[in-house]
Amino acid sequence: MNFELTEEQQLIGQSARDFAKQYLDPIAVEVDRTGEFPKAIVQGLAKHDFMGLLLPEEFGGAGAGYVSYAEVIETLSRSLPAVASIMNNHSIAAYVIQNWGTNEQKKQYLPHMAKGELLGALAIYERGPMPGIGPDALVATKQDGGYVLNGKKAFVRNAGEAGVYVLFATTDPAAGPKALTAFIVKADTAGIKVGARLDTMGLKGCPIADITFEKVVVKESALLGPINQGLAIASKALAVASVAEAAQTVGIGQAAVEHAAAYAKQRVQFGKPVFTLQAIQTLLAEVATDCHMARLGLRNAALLIEEDKPFEVEAAMIKSFLVRLGSKMLVDTCQVEGGFGYSESMPLPRMFRDIAGTNLLDAPADFPEQIIAASIK
Amino acid sequence: MPKCLVCYKWTLDEQDIRIKPEDLSLDSSRAKGKISDFDRNAIEEATLIVEKQGGAVDALSYGTSTVKQSLKDVLSRGPEKAYWVADNSAESADAAVTASVLAAAIRKLGQYDLILCGEGSSDLFNQQTAPRLAALLGLPCLSFVQKMSVEGDTVKATRKLEECEEAVTVKGPVVISVLSEINKPRIPSLRQVLGAAKKPNEEIKIADLGLTPEQLLPKAARRSVKGFVMKRKNVIYKESSAADNVAKLKGSLASEGLC
Amino acid sequence: MSILTVDTPAVKQPAKDLAVNILTPEQLEIKQAARAFVAKHIIPNADKYDKSGEFHPFLLEASKASKVFAMAVPKEFGGLGYDALTQALVLEEWGYGCAGMGTTLAASVLSMDSVLIAGNEEQKRRYFAPMINAEIGAFGLTEPGAGSDAGAGKSTATKAGDEYVLNGTKCWITNGGFASVFVIYALTDPAAGMKGISAFIVERDRKGLTIGAADHKLGIRSSSTVELLLKDLHIPASNLLGKEGEGMKIAMKTLDMARPAIAALSVGLAQRALDECVKQVQTRFPGKPFPGQTLSFKLADMGIQVEAARNVLHNAMRLRDIGAPYSKESAISKTFCSDVAMQVTSQAVTLMGSQGYTSDLSKYMRDSKIMQIYEGTNQIQRLVISRAVLAPPPAAAAAQKAGK
Repeated sequence: MNFELTEEQQLIGQSARDFAKQYLDPIAVEVDRTGEFPKAIVQGLAKHDFMGLLLPEEFGGAGAGYVSYAEVIETLSRSLPAVASIMNNHSIAAYVIQNWGTNEQKKQYLPHMAKGELLGALAIYERGPMPGIGPDALVATKQDGGYVLNGKKAFVRNAGEAGVYVLFATTDPAAGPKALTAFIVKADTAGIKVGARLDTMGLKGCPIADITFEKVVVKESALLGPINQGLAIASKALAVASVAEAAQTVGIGQAAVEHAAAYAKQRVQFGKPVFTLQAIQTLLAEVATDCHMARLGLRNAALLIEEDKPFEVEAAMIKSFLVRLGSKMLVDTCQVEGGFGYSESMPLPRMFRDIAGTNLLDAPADFPEQIIAASIK
Repeated sequence: MPKCLVCYKWTLDEQDIRIKPEDLSLDSSRAKGKISDFDRNAIEEATLIVEKQGGAVDALSYGTSTVKQSLKDVLSRGPEKAYWVADNSAESADAAVTASVLAAAIRKLGQYDLILCGEGSSDLFNQQTAPRLAALLGLPCLSFVQKMSVEGDTVKATRKLEECEEAVTVKGPVVISVLSEINKPRIPSLRQVLGAAKKPNEEIKIADLGLTPEQLLPKAARRSVKGFVMKRKNVIYKESSAADNVAKLKGSLASEGLC
Repeated sequence: MSILTVDTPAVKQPAKDLAVNILTPEQLEIKQAARAFVAKHIIPNADKYDKSGEFHPFLLEASKASKVFAMAVPKEFGGLGYDALTQALVLEEWGYGCAGMGTTLAASVLSMDSVLIAGNEEQKRRYFAPMINAEIGAFGLTEPGAGSDAGAGKSTATKAGDEYVLNGTKCWITNGGFASVFVIYALTDPAAGMKGISAFIVERDRKGLTIGAADHKLGIRSSSTVELLLKDLHIPASNLLGKEGEGMKIAMKTLDMARPAIAALSVGLAQRALDECVKQVQTRFPGKPFPGQTLSFKLADMGIQVEAARNVLHNAMRLRDIGAPYSKESAISKTFCSDVAMQVTSQAVTLMGSQGYTSDLSKYMRDSKIMQIYEGTNQIQRLVISRAVLAPPPAAAAAQKAGK
């Protein structure tokens, strides 16, 4: 059993590192300040094949595996995690098309998504208790030649910038989530109204908004995967996405603990660098340990995804782990930097705001504990 | 359509090397390998030339067994094929040994129009390998090259010297060592990284190079390598006036022969 | 003041969250008044000032009627003379409304605590007067090289005739941008190090006092945090608090007294996060009073923490109000309550997912972080607490002494 990345995975990580150093580090403060969508960066990512990392070569992708993907997400997140969010929501939308789409759908969308010409977005969540339930649930009503969509989707990342949505609507409001069905819908379809960008605590630069669907007509060919099988598809897609989100958490945490350690080595109080104080060492050590453990855990899940083996339990475990310990990484590293860890003139406050957005429990039914408990023999 | 060869070195990444405080010895146990910085510029330059004018780039490296770790890296940056010589002698090799090995390998590989190297390696920075290599091959050598262009079999280059810039023209074949100013190496795209696995590499056995054991030994033996740590004196001058403090500082510097 | 229980007919039936079991009627009334004030003036404006990061002079204006900025000023000086527990009740309400605006009140009280501890009658009168008019004070101890190591400050105060001349830089001074009065710490005897620090009253309009850059912070954004530049700042010798060299003692006593204020803000903040989290849960699951064990039990844990934090704080305040030693309990309250606030607000954001991340819950999480840092980091607090925990029990100490 080898815990090391392969040569290729390391080289891919190296490319990501160089990309982050050259293109992300110089703009991280500015993007956080303005929240402006970094269009040029997204194009740069596409040029280096990052936007199609997981897609097969036949569709113009790099054909790399999920472990490489997680490594890239972690690396980019050390510099500008909002970009990793954009990339992840796009890549998982493409993943859904790749795994459940017809050949026509794959040919129609994937090459453009790989080239970064078409940005993808996943629209799953709603404001109600679960997708498919409630007065504003997105409903797909069958009609001649296709469906009409009515309702609202919430917290859609990449909303407004995406060219294509992979969305989940219920074909039967009485059945709710049990009749959830996936569709591929182009963003410029009539009746789609992207709401105002929501104000987020961090990860600014990755737009989040609610979307209203008013009598949106889609053809039969927009159906993605088997009808009424959307919940299973959404669950799998979210599980895959969550492993990359874990990589985001670890990337931010790693950058923070390195920054805090460097700070502590030069901050002299009581005649010595505070790094020499046991209390400071404890804070740093716990964060470094949690990062390391999480990285091993997520790499394990990533490898299972790459090898097409069952991975949902491992993904749930790493999610559960980071829901408990993710934000703590920045609570503790900010503590090490004291007042400097609270001033926005330093990077840690921004990282604090960013990391909180990487381990959110969105749909309550997501509580990973249920999946994990069920797996215990 | 120049046929280019780039000679590169696989070194330890110096930022991973720690200095042990007890005896200032170097701890490289956690150091990862990397292509020597200036060699990356050489690889990029050769790739750019060939992208513009056609031709091909080969890569060649002499190192210990770890040199095999460099192959996918170098092949993701433009070269079509990588040649490598792996031998323990590389551990202690100096520029003379390195140049002998490279020259012998190049004589086996055949004619190249351009042989590029970095001006110096990241670890030792002797700046001798390229000139020695040129001498052994009987070729002209252009060093300190910060800009170059190729027209047919002629190379035009600008050399950055201490007091001036020198414009030179030479007819190939020629050995060229480049400075980092010459270009900014592009980041390999993922497809380039993954495509590297499909490109060929070939080992050249040191035994086949016809070198004597003496030629593989450096003439100067390295006695020790110690890290350099800046020691602070932590002296504070607290005289009653700025003028007095300056006087004290001046006296202190003078006593150390610094002014 | 007699302590009445809920069962006593004199007390009206309280709202379930007022924790009124052991408050006096006066305390209850003050708490309810503070709550109403916060609901009217602070809660509707908190978000706006957090976004702009601007200070909130309107709040000082609105506070004039209640004299709340003089709540710690003794009655004989025209203040409200609230006891420690009552002050904590008020700060809890302000923390509930907005931790940034609550910090303004807490920091002003912090600065006047120094004067309460070491000032003479005349100084007290001078310093407290503005507060009765809802002007604020600032506590000037921290320097770029003197954070947790507060005694490492380098600012100097040189005696010159019947004046002191102050030089140096102070940083992260809360309220500094808008304070009328400051308590500033500087070395009257640089050679004596920590023992050479003295405390001074400095009025804002003194020449040589420059308000420097304001810091843009992760949270408590409407609180003014600035650098102070002291350059040949002349003050009369009568502005010296206590004696020369007593500065550190005064500072430490001040922080001891003021620590629970942060605990109070933290309790209010944590309660607010819990309440807002519950509201979001109820909106998302209409008609479902018990939305599954996982979620409900996590909310229960948050409730446990807030309840425990409030009680730790109130206990410490009661000790102070009866004149008992309370240094350990004070440090515990600051540490525990701020840790609780950080945990509860983080949990709230995580539980509410994207909705939490795009709502006020994220403000509470940002505001919480500073509670673990300022007025003595929780690591410094643990130094104080560990000393108390590790001290030999009184019997053993007496036996040791006897044995000598």
